Amino acid sequence: MKINITKQSLYLLFLSIVLLLFVLIFSFLVLIPEGKNYREQRGVLNKEATELRRYEEFADNTLERLKGLQSDNAHILTSFDNSFSSTRFQKQFRSYFTSLELSKQEELNEEDEFSVYEVNTTSSINSPQSFYNFLDAINKADWIISVNFPIEFKRDHELISSTFTMRVYRTKKASQQ
Amino acid sequence: MKYSYIKPRKKSVVSGESQLIFSFFSITLIMLFLTYFFLFFKDYRFTQNLQEIQQRKIELEANVQKMNSQITFIEKELLLSESITTKNTVLKDSIANLFDLVPQRITLSQATLLKNGLILHGITPNKDIYNFMLQAPLRSIFHRTYSSFYEAENGWLKFVSTNYIDEDELSLESPRYEEEKEVSDED
Repeated sequence: MKINITKQSLYLLFLSIVLLLFVLIFSFLVLIPEGKNYREQRGVLNKEATELRRYEEFADNTLERLKGLQSDNAHILTSFDNSFSSTRFQKQFRSYFTSLELSKQEELNEEDEFSVYEVNTTSSINSPQSFYNFLDAINKADWIISVNFPIEFKRDHELISSTFTMRVYRTKKASQQ
Repeated sequence: MKYSYIKPRKKSVVSGESQLIFSFFSITLIMLFLTYFFLFFKDYRFTQNLQEIQQRKIELEANVQKMNSQITFIEKELLLSESITTKNTVLKDSIANLFDLVPQRITLSQATLLKNGLILHGITPNKDIYNFMLQAPLRSIFHRTYSSFYEAENGWLKFVSTNYIDEDELSLESPRYEEEKEVSDED
């Protein structure tokens, strides 16, 4: 039996086989590894995106905490930034004393991130109650001030003259400006 | 003049089978290449996105670090402010207690409050009143108490009472005092 295949059919068969081989080789050697890589990359990207969301959440929480601290303690934070003014201090606290004088404002050794100024104070009061009121009021002042030893009370006729030192604390950052 | 009774069939360069094969393979190849380019483009985008995410993470990390240092500093400020407020309040209470301690029959002319002591100058009708009403409570507070008297013009006695707290003994009695001392030393 003789099979009659034309030359053209043979060409076609050969071309089909070649193309099919190309498709198979391209698929297995290029497309499938690329697909695998795509899947892996997508997984990595999803993981990174989740991690980024966590980072963002953490940053948002930290920012919220910072804002909360800043708004809750605005007065204290501003007080640390305010520069000490004897005139303003006298204006604010003169009412607690019969007379109030401040002298010798000098800078002490710096503490970590704070500058400390020492102010000598001489004053006269009617009664110790005025001094107690002053100590209460100083905690709400525009500066961070601590009253320090030695404190001296001396009877001066009807008045009590008092001498004490105050330490004014300021952030270094603010004092350098 | 016609030589045949049948109509001549049209002949083309590419036969029907070839056309079928070509169109099949061309569609297949186009699909394969499109898929490949899609994957290639996606890969490129993924790499870009990954880089962006990494960059954003670094920025966020730096931001968080900055905010944390700000928080630490604010907390430090609050702690210092709180300790100063407490110190002022304690000072107020100490002075109030001191003046409450002095009996009505004894008059003070001068009081000096030191970091670890108290010096009182005053006038008392007699030594007994001073000893029972002022020195006794002072002794219970201070570790060392010294008194000296000299006569006043009106027959009363002027006195100078010097009282000290030994910081070493105090630190043994209360370990917290040591911490406060360190803080006040820093102040």
